[in-house]
Amino acid sequence: MSFLDTKPGVPLLESDNLVRHYDVNRGFGKPGATVKALDGVSFTLEAKKTLAVVGESGCGKSTLGRQLTLIEKPSAGELKINGNTVGNLSDKEAKLFRRTVQMIFQNPYGSLNPRKKVGQILAEPVLLNMDHLGRKEREERVRETMAKVGLRPEFFQRYPHMFSGGQRQRIAIARALILEPKVIVADEPVSALDVSVQAQVLNLMMDLQEEMNVAYVFISHDLSVVRHIADDVMVMYLGRVAEKGPTEEIFAKPLHPYTRALLASAPKIDPAHRVKAEPLTGELPSPINPPSGCAFHKRCPFATEECAKVRPELRSFEGREVACHRVEEIA
Amino acid sequence: MALLEVKNLTVEFGSEDKPFRAVDSVSYSIDRGEVLGIVGESGSGKSVSSLAVMGLIDFPGRVTADALTFDGQDLLGMPAKRRREITGKDIAMIFQDPMSALNPCFTVEAQIMEALKVHEGGSKKQRRERTLELLNQVGIPDPKSRMTAYPHQLSGGMSQRIVIAMAIACKPRLLIADEPTTALDVTIQAQIIDLLLKLQEDSDMGLLLITHDLALVSEAANRIQVMYAGQLFESGPADSIFSAPRHPYTQALLEALPERSEGHDRLRTIPGVVPGQYDRPAGCLLAPRCRYANESCVAARPEVSDFNGRDVRCFYPLNDQGQPTGLNTGGTV
Repeated sequence: MSFLDTKPGVPLLESDNLVRHYDVNRGFGKPGATVKALDGVSFTLEAKKTLAVVGESGCGKSTLGRQLTLIEKPSAGELKINGNTVGNLSDKEAKLFRRTVQMIFQNPYGSLNPRKKVGQILAEPVLLNMDHLGRKEREERVRETMAKVGLRPEFFQRYPHMFSGGQRQRIAIARALILEPKVIVADEPVSALDVSVQAQVLNLMMDLQEEMNVAYVFISHDLSVVRHIADDVMVMYLGRVAEKGPTEEIFAKPLHPYTRALLASAPKIDPAHRVKAEPLTGELPSPINPPSGCAFHKRCPFATEECAKVRPELRSFEGREVACHRVEEIA
Repeated sequence: MALLEVKNLTVEFGSEDKPFRAVDSVSYSIDRGEVLGIVGESGSGKSVSSLAVMGLIDFPGRVTADALTFDGQDLLGMPAKRRREITGKDIAMIFQDPMSALNPCFTVEAQIMEALKVHEGGSKKQRRERTLELLNQVGIPDPKSRMTAYPHQLSGGMSQRIVIAMAIACKPRLLIADEPTTALDVTIQAQIIDLLLKLQEDSDMGLLLITHDLALVSEAANRIQVMYAGQLFESGPADSIFSAPRHPYTQALLEALPERSEGHDRLRTIPGVVPGQYDRPAGCLLAPRCRYANESCVAARPEVSDFNGRDVRCFYPLNDQGQPTGLNTGGTV
């Protein structure tokens, strides 16, 4: 399993121009169309770091999660883990790779099988991926992981319906952790939870990161949670990256007009944190028929003629990457 | 006189001898032109109490109150027919999920016109004109063509605007918005809240905003009520309740927010979960989770009392430093 080992100087996870298009049927007699759910997304993720992916619904953040976990194959672009390109692997090797990237889903009420006991739910990944382990060892491993995420040993024989939302999310986290992955893709892991329980789950995720050196791809729309947990933030708009950079810098001084609008729209509890700004008008355009030029130009207060014609590429600016023609003027 | 006056509203489910109190003696009032925010975690009874005001709690649920009056009229005592005339016209409600609040089988126009037909009457032509006017008012682009659209052809934000148009169709004096933006993105949420506040200001409506989002309610409301497990825990003006919480629960909720934390520090959590139907403690409902709780909290339930101009349900309300007052054993915890 040498190709699974971390190599010095090589990022743990590297996405190079990842593209995912879906062909859709628009009805009888009409021409088919392509939904560009993901249209060229690149980033790198180091061990023990957290990358947050934020954006409105429909911006492709969940599609990105599905590519990273190898649930779907990208239409184009490369995904590298420890410098190995995933697309070139045989099925057998790909199965090993899947172990290194695990997922936590948004809704813990939907992601756990109601007919299985907690012990069975957690044992399944081990059963499928570590067939050299016997029954005793498997159970041992399940109990260890349960202790790690703060589930009491007597929960082993219980069904998911006997748990509250926060505890279910702990079960889901345990299931993702049990194979000792290097990357966990968490798709809105706390948005279905109450404030007090959300804090418990966030703390647990941060503790586990320190303990197990796991990297997170944290998909979320809650900006205050992102600011708290992430090292880097990637703001997406209609399948493309609008802005990418270190969390504190982006929150202190958002460069892209869309990032600015996003930060200004989020309600703040302390009057001192509030940003007075005109709310963004309009809604996310359809990815079947995206606007010409910059996808954001119809909602952007700074848009010019150039924005409507030429699509801005991601470029470096003040230590960050921004896709905007006018970033120098508006910064 | 307050527009809506609720005194000791209680909603019970289950058997007579062992009832489950989803809402336990909640009192509040709203004046016209006022925005009252109700916040609480799930299971706090915030939605059930508003459904009770709307008369939407059916058998086997039981609604009792010392007073439930709208504009001086007793809502509980009046005949059902008379109450139907008030709800939907003078008191309107917006529900959480716009996608399921609209009937997928009818056009937008038909659904808004139905509300107008029941309460306002008038010819079909007048009703259609009024519908167009409403769609304009809630900021739907190209309203003429949207009139004949079906709900599945609209986005979430657009559907919520339709639901709002339906609610304000009969010019209500009180609007109850139950988690109006939970299903929407932040940018759309900002648009919808701005719209609601603008409508509320323009027509001097009372607005009851129910949400679990502390930040949202602190920006939008004039007064805020914090609920927990069916009880009112604290109420007070929006500008001071979150800067100087008097109830330990409000304080703990605020500390659990990522916005209040610095850097990568761990958040201060509230251990445990909101008690459900079978595990409600005998004393203060928060006692098992409260960091200041002592024997008297476990033994008896506190009543709502006035503390520095704030209604607080706690034996030891917090002072300006966030420390409990009146704790004589040990003082600090």
